[in-house]
Amino acid sequence: MLQRFLDPAVLHGISSLDLVAKTVVDGFVAGLHRSPDFGFSLEFAEYRAYAPGDDLRHVDWNLFARTERCYLKRYRGETNTQLTLLLDASNSMKFTSHAVNKMDYARYMAASLCYLALHNQHDPAGLIVFDDEVRNYIRPSTRQGQLYRLLAGLEQAEPAARTDFGKPMQHFQQFLNRRGIVIVISDFYEQPETIVKAIEPLRFHGSEVVLFHVLDPKEIYPEMKGPAILVDLETDRKLEVIPDYVKTEYRAKMDNHLEQMRDRTQAAGMGYHLLTTDKPLDRTLTEYLTLRRSGRTSGLGGA
Amino acid sequence: MGFLAPWFLAGLLAVGLPVYVHLLRKQTTVPRLVSSLMFFEQGTQSSVRHRRLRYLLLFALRAALVLLLALAFARPFFRHKSVLASDKLLLVAVDDSFSMNAAAGGGAAGTKLDEAKRGALSALSAKAPGQKAQVIALGGQMRLLTQPTEDSSQLRAAVQAIGPGDGHDNFGELGRGMRAMAETVHTPMELDLFSDMQESNMPGNFADMVMPGNVTLLLHRVGASAATPNWTVESVEAPGQLVDTKKVRVLAVIAGHETPAATRTASLVVNGNTIATKKVDIPANGRATVAFEGLDVPYGESRCAVRIDAADGFPNDDASNFAVKRADPERVLFVHQASDTRSPLYFGAALAAAAQASFVLQPITPEQTSDIDPTKYAFVVLSDVSSVPSILENTLIRNVQDGGSVLVATGMADSHREHIAVYGGNVADGHFYARGSAEDAGFTTVGEADAAHPSMRDANSWEGIKFFYAAAVDPGNARVVARLADGTPLLVDKQLGEGHVLLFASGFDNLTNDLPVNPAFVAFVDQTAKYLSGQERASGARVVDSFVQLRNPVNRESGAVASKATVDIVGPDGKRPLTLKEAAVAESFQLARAGFYQIQFANGRDALIAVNPDPRESDLATIPDDVLKLWTGATETGSAETATESAAQGENNVSNLWWWVMLLLLGVALAESGLASRYLGTQREEL
Repeated sequence: MLQRFLDPAVLHGISSLDLVAKTVVDGFVAGLHRSPDFGFSLEFAEYRAYAPGDDLRHVDWNLFARTERCYLKRYRGETNTQLTLLLDASNSMKFTSHAVNKMDYARYMAASLCYLALHNQHDPAGLIVFDDEVRNYIRPSTRQGQLYRLLAGLEQAEPAARTDFGKPMQHFQQFLNRRGIVIVISDFYEQPETIVKAIEPLRFHGSEVVLFHVLDPKEIYPEMKGPAILVDLETDRKLEVIPDYVKTEYRAKMDNHLEQMRDRTQAAGMGYHLLTTDKPLDRTLTEYLTLRRSGRTSGLGGA
Repeated sequence: MGFLAPWFLAGLLAVGLPVYVHLLRKQTTVPRLVSSLMFFEQGTQSSVRHRRLRYLLLFALRAALVLLLALAFARPFFRHKSVLASDKLLLVAVDDSFSMNAAAGGGAAGTKLDEAKRGALSALSAKAPGQKAQVIALGGQMRLLTQPTEDSSQLRAAVQAIGPGDGHDNFGELGRGMRAMAETVHTPMELDLFSDMQESNMPGNFADMVMPGNVTLLLHRVGASAATPNWTVESVEAPGQLVDTKKVRVLAVIAGHETPAATRTASLVVNGNTIATKKVDIPANGRATVAFEGLDVPYGESRCAVRIDAADGFPNDDASNFAVKRADPERVLFVHQASDTRSPLYFGAALAAAAQASFVLQPITPEQTSDIDPTKYAFVVLSDVSSVPSILENTLIRNVQDGGSVLVATGMADSHREHIAVYGGNVADGHFYARGSAEDAGFTTVGEADAAHPSMRDANSWEGIKFFYAAAVDPGNARVVARLADGTPLLVDKQLGEGHVLLFASGFDNLTNDLPVNPAFVAFVDQTAKYLSGQERASGARVVDSFVQLRNPVNRESGAVASKATVDIVGPDGKRPLTLKEAAVAESFQLARAGFYQIQFANGRDALIAVNPDPRESDLATIPDDVLKLWTGATETGSAETATESAAQGENNVSNLWWWVMLLLLGVALAESGLASRYLGTQREEL
């Protein structure tokens, strides 16, 4: 029953972003049976008996002094990990082939992550909305009402202008003075090397950078029955395209672009997730967090 | 540029249909929005480009189709001023018929013809410089006196050369002539007709008078429009040939047109001498007959006339001519079997009763014909002769070829089954109607008769005559004058050289038919005798413009050859109207003038023919003005308006473009069909 509400099209009918985030996260948490093995903080988890080959740096020498036995101290993570969301609000995010456009899907995703960080983890969360400029910045915080500020910022983030990763990222580096997790949500219509080149500096502060690549399914597998004139949402440029090209060369180019995005981001030590707007949000979150836990999405290694 | 039916231009709205189909429907393809054109490239299929070109061409053709269709129905025309006043052909027609010899009246000097010529000269003087004109005389026929020319002196000379005529003009003839001229002359024409507008000149059908579209008719009435009283000698009945001057009776009809009751004096004039005078009371606007008993003329041909005293403005029609020939009775050779006594009896009695005793019958048997000269006889009759001596037959044939005539009655002689003397054919069979079945009446009657033949002028009186026997003769190329009810030729006229052989397929006794005891027999014998003797051609009076046959026509089918003998004609003015060449070949001659013609025919016979003007010319009643307006096409609002319209029509020539548009439409329709079929064919392949 709850799964039905997690469908993006159903979530689109819920006007309150707060309610959307709560529905997604609570349902998602309930589905995981309150597993303790998730979250962004690095806190103490357990002691384990030393086995040959274990790293001696993790031995609890105080306990060894008291008991003369070697135990390894295991951590879940550090507390108060700062989450910063970078949301692309360019015109291209308006595209849709069904009820939910990419912008809405990105907003739901961002709202869910904010809810998860602030409500469940009590971690500071912030938001930067950008297109070719930084349009809105909400400093990461855990203060009272932070969640609603973030949600309000997401509500106000309407698509406009073009995407330019260069200037917003340079500006954003000024605000980033603490390690944390940086999540960039965009459709990334730019050359992968340009994107990586613009975002890579965020990692130099030691932050974990994750790219959520939001695309409409018809952008990956477009359908065209006859020759048509296509209009670029950001530049208004018109182009006549024939179906044969879309069926062959476009798909090849798109596949190559996605592959390059994946490869280059991973090569740069960044996480990468492709999100399609027809996929339920909880499943997307589960995949992300599960992968993160297993350490396959981040260079940080997880818990 | 304009349209004769501009309301059809509303059809241009239909061009919205191809516009909708080709342009508006095409624009319903809304451009699709995409996030980025980063991965797209411009692509246009080669077939798409060509198809779009064809598509636009197809749209253009379809739109043109609708436009041209609407234009064609709107009937566009192009008005151009290519026709200048000098391009209009001026036709000056002068009526020179007999009635134009009447006094002009109304204070004008001279005759109506003089007044008409003055008017024609004025019209020629008023013509534009450089404008071509043509002079036409309208008498018995429409005569073009000049070619279209700008030479005023030539035109004026032609008008002045028009003399008084004796013919009867007909406005129907004028209309037909103008329509024939309009087929070759496409420029506007203005016809100025100067005439007395006699009512008798109108044809039976008004449509014959109607002028073609490019002819503007301007009528100029000559003389008074009111009816002019006129007495005339309308006709004279007198024998063409006489033997006994005491028994002759001359009847003359005196007619008055628009005249009061009056007493006129009629005179009988012979060779210029008045031999009798009578008073005759003529009722108002009526006719009276005056009879002169006896016609004392000398032997030979005499020129006679009946004349009334002149008391009106048209003295030319106060006399009517006729020619009389006084001679001893001509002999008719009647060859018959010795056993047949009935035929000469009946034929002789009929001949004596008819033709005012101009002929004397000389019966003879074939055995007595050894030294007979047929040229001494008016004609020869072979009545039921079983065998004709070859000498006589050859003599008769030569005589016929030289202009003589033979009447052959086949009778019941069996020898005719092999050969009919002189005629040349044979009897194929003999129809004995008396031996028919009980249902038959035992006889037959005349089924059809050619009343145009001189022998059968009284064809109606033949209706009750019973024929019990008739020989079946193949007429060949001969003229069948009468047939029996079963189609058997009864009377056949065969031309042989300059003469005729008349074959009667029965007998002149009262055994094979009851014709000899019927009153019709007298008329038949009378007319046949006149025809065969040649009196028929010379007797009586003719009307001006009638034709007289000079020699038998060349019959190519029968191989008959026209006579090489020349004819000789002396006209009323004492001149010979025919050239020597014409005299050698002419088959007929038109009697164009009133008076006496002395004619020597090709067969050597002489005749004096009297020619009188058409009596209708004496009726001077004129055509009412409303009829004239109808003829000219003018409305009652006035002829000035019509003249203005006519002038405008002359200056503004209208060319109808309807046919050109239709031709263009056809071409566009064919192109559209071809292109559309190719376009649809391409689409099917794509599907």
